[in-house]
Amino acid sequence: MNREEERNAKLDAMFQEYRAALPDVEPGARFMPGLWQRIEARRAASLWIFRRLAQVCVGATLALTIVMGAFLIPRLEKSSPVYSSSYVDELAADHPNTYVDILTGDIK
Amino acid sequence: MLVDFELIERARSGDDGAFNQVVQAYRKRILGTIARLIGRPEDVEDVGQEVFLRLYYSLDQLRTSEVFEPWLYRLTVNAAYDYLRRQRRRQESRMSDLSEQQVLMADAAAGGKRSDEDQRRTRIRERVQSLLGKVSEEDRILLMLKEVEGLSLKELEKIYKVNENALKVRLFRARQRVLKAFEAEGD
Repeated sequence: MNREEERNAKLDAMFQEYRAALPDVEPGARFMPGLWQRIEARRAASLWIFRRLAQVCVGATLALTIVMGAFLIPRLEKSSPVYSSSYVDELAADHPNTYVDILTGDIK
Repeated sequence: MLVDFELIERARSGDDGAFNQVVQAYRKRILGTIARLIGRPEDVEDVGQEVFLRLYYSLDQLRTSEVFEPWLYRLTVNAAYDYLRRQRRRQESRMSDLSEQQVLMADAAAGGKRSDEDQRRTRIRERVQSLLGKVSEEDRILLMLKEVEGLSLKELEKIYKVNENALKVRLFRARQRVLKAFEAEGD
């Protein structure tokens, strides 16, 4: 066996000793309850985040609605024309002859 | 496989009872692997719980039950890697707070309380950990899985999703570095 092989063999032996020094671990009595506690805690945390996110979204929507109500609607009202007459009146005003013709039966 | 595919399928579909059975079947093996990867028995259960917690919340991403074991090993490797990184940061800050004499006194006090067998195990553990400290955390875990856990290259390929040749190269380089340190320590 040359020096390189000897070193490799020694290293392998040391790894095996290490394996033997740290055998498989039997979990303690608190392992499973502890695991489920952590699972539940994470679930609760995700739910909390989801609820918080929902609250933030609802709040933001409400705030936006108020802003729209307070600023945008009065502006829109100002810029839009005010109609005092109905659609039929406007139509009649635009086409007075046709309207009369229909009534008198001149249009067939 | 320590459990049948049907049990894993049930756990995947959200059956907590089935998940409990899967954990009970694998916990001893996984805790052993973690103990050897991190080298600190006192933190094994904590890291083990983290592995199964990650498993619980990632089971739905598992493509098929056939790849369950490599998947579980990957989660184990990642949790061990995260632990080692955290530990290194913590150790660096803790050691910088203590004087050299305080560190020596703390080591001596801890050693005095242990039995001979415990001390021998601790010596082996510390020696291997010190040798593995010469390579990166990723290579250290890879080397451990191959040399100590005895996983084959095919199994490692599934865990790391890297081809066999790339793994061989990484393993060879890591082993060479550890061998060099082993020689420097005077075998």
